[in-house]
Amino acid sequence: MEKLSKMGRVYLAIVFLILYAPIFYLIFYSFNSGGTMSSFEGFTLEHYAAVFNDTRLIIIVLNTVIVALLSALISTAIGVLGAIGIVFIRNRKMRNAVLSLNTILIVSPDVIIGASFLILFTMVGVKLGFASVLISHIAFSIPIVVIMVLPKLMEMSDSLIDAATDLGASKRDILTRVILPYIKPGIFAGFFLALTYSLDDFAVTFFVTGNGFATLSVEIYSMARAGITLTINALSALIFLVTLGLVLGYYFFSNRARMTIRPPGGGN
Amino acid sequence: MSGDSIIRFENVTQAYEGAGNVLNNVSFELERGKFYTLLGPSGCGKTTILRLIAGFIKPTKGDIYIEGQIVNNSPANERQVNTVFQDYALFPHLNVFENVAFGLRIKKLKKAEIERRVLEALEFVNLHGYEKRDISEMSGGQRQRVAIARAIVNDPEVILLDEPLSALDLKLRTEMQYELRELQQRLGKTFIFVTHDQEEALAMSDEIFVMKSGEIQQSGTPLDIYDEPINRFVADFIGESNIVDGVMIDDYRVRFANQEFECVDQGLNKNEKVEIVIRPEDLHISPLERGKITVTVDSQLFRGVHYEISTVDEVGNEWLVHSTKKVEVGSRIGLDFEPEAIHVMRLNESEEAFDARLEAYGAPGHEK
Repeated sequence: MEKLSKMGRVYLAIVFLILYAPIFYLIFYSFNSGGTMSSFEGFTLEHYAAVFNDTRLIIIVLNTVIVALLSALISTAIGVLGAIGIVFIRNRKMRNAVLSLNTILIVSPDVIIGASFLILFTMVGVKLGFASVLISHIAFSIPIVVIMVLPKLMEMSDSLIDAATDLGASKRDILTRVILPYIKPGIFAGFFLALTYSLDDFAVTFFVTGNGFATLSVEIYSMARAGITLTINALSALIFLVTLGLVLGYYFFSNRARMTIRPPGGGN
Repeated sequence: MSGDSIIRFENVTQAYEGAGNVLNNVSFELERGKFYTLLGPSGCGKTTILRLIAGFIKPTKGDIYIEGQIVNNSPANERQVNTVFQDYALFPHLNVFENVAFGLRIKKLKKAEIERRVLEALEFVNLHGYEKRDISEMSGGQRQRVAIARAIVNDPEVILLDEPLSALDLKLRTEMQYELRELQQRLGKTFIFVTHDQEEALAMSDEIFVMKSGEIQQSGTPLDIYDEPINRFVADFIGESNIVDGVMIDDYRVRFANQEFECVDQGLNKNEKVEIVIRPEDLHISPLERGKITVTVDSQLFRGVHYEISTVDEVGNEWLVHSTKKVEVGSRIGLDFEPEAIHVMRLNESEEAFDARLEAYGAPGHEK
């Protein structure tokens, strides 16, 4: 790859500066003992202490993580099976139709998904709360998992399945011993993406969460509406750190997968 | 039907939607422990036969027998047949040992047994010490061997090979031809090898099936097929040939290139139109006056082992000559050949009639 020119580097730096400046501004003032975001008076960790002393907040964090983990796990399982199903649809038109339906779910606005879930849950009579949030998170994560897993499945040669059958493998053996190991990198990618989508989802959750149950994004929103406190800053800083960790984790997995699974061919 | 038959096709037809018949009423029988080759251009149905034996597809019509049992409806994972795929189809997420062990693990054999058999199979294909390697670390030739080891480790009665050498370079391919042939003889298993490369087929097989458009054109030993091709297609596909039109004057007399020649064929109708095949290596360059036909040299290529000389006779027939002697382009030379070198092909002769006719000759010239 060509090296970036000086102008290019300056441009890139400015873009990233603009993108990250608000976040770092927020994090910076989370250490402010002044209590406002207008003047920095002195360094303190009291806002962080406030976060950890607020049991309600801790419970909400736990809720958020549980919903994220559960929805990511369940949607990964469903999404992987769905992707395998899509790949094995013989009819080309049918397959493209299913894929388009899947893509529409990804690109359609969260507000619409959230609103339609709200209507659905009230019609069916599901009590708004943990279950409704979990179900909607699973629902919007499945298409994401499908999209992450599909390329790996497409890349897999049909003869691998023939070979496994030839060696006596049943359909179940083929799934567990050939297909799943082969698409493992895609599964991990899908899982991590679903996890992050669930962690920072606001719009859908806002619609389907009821009284007594909240996730972090919804809670921060209502805290901000009640008035700015630097606790929000501290909380945001912590979330930023966790997200950073997740992204690094994702790269670690996908890199390792690329190191070990190289396509056959070439190199004598 | 011999008692040692292992695979039998009875009037098998295979049709794909919208593609017509890929196989057309094919019948044949394979004996245990021999090396068979299905030879033909792409799209002739040879791979379809392989996939039918393996069980990846079911015949549209007809019956397939393995060891005397109809297997039309038995799924691929229950057949005592293993395949070496064209792209090897090795599992990239498993190392060499686990690739070879795959079939045995499915069968849930004991750990020690698996280890013993895998190591033995790897030893067989000269890959001792490569167990821990990743597939991505293996070269093309080594992957080929892993694929073979993975097939033989299951101890199948029949091993199917789908153009396994086509991805290798020429030198490696020749090496692998020797190895495969030797491996087959050591194992004593039935090998069914699919290729479009006639040299490969001639070098390795006990018996060759030459196929074209879903039908078997001719089957026989490499020598039979090379020396006595049944028709223009087979003569052309197996090696280089000169094929010219001729007329059978009488028993042992044939006319082509505006001259009459002595030949060893008999039992055909008088004045029957035939096609004449003479192999380029059976034509010898001689002085003008001693040659049986006179030709003009059109072009000459150096092929390493011999010169490939393209010539034209007085009637306009082309004659390809393989000779170690060099000639001058544009010069007129004589071509000499033995009566035995003339091979007469009847037009549209069936394989049975052809075999019967050859049987009837019993002429010394045909016993090579």
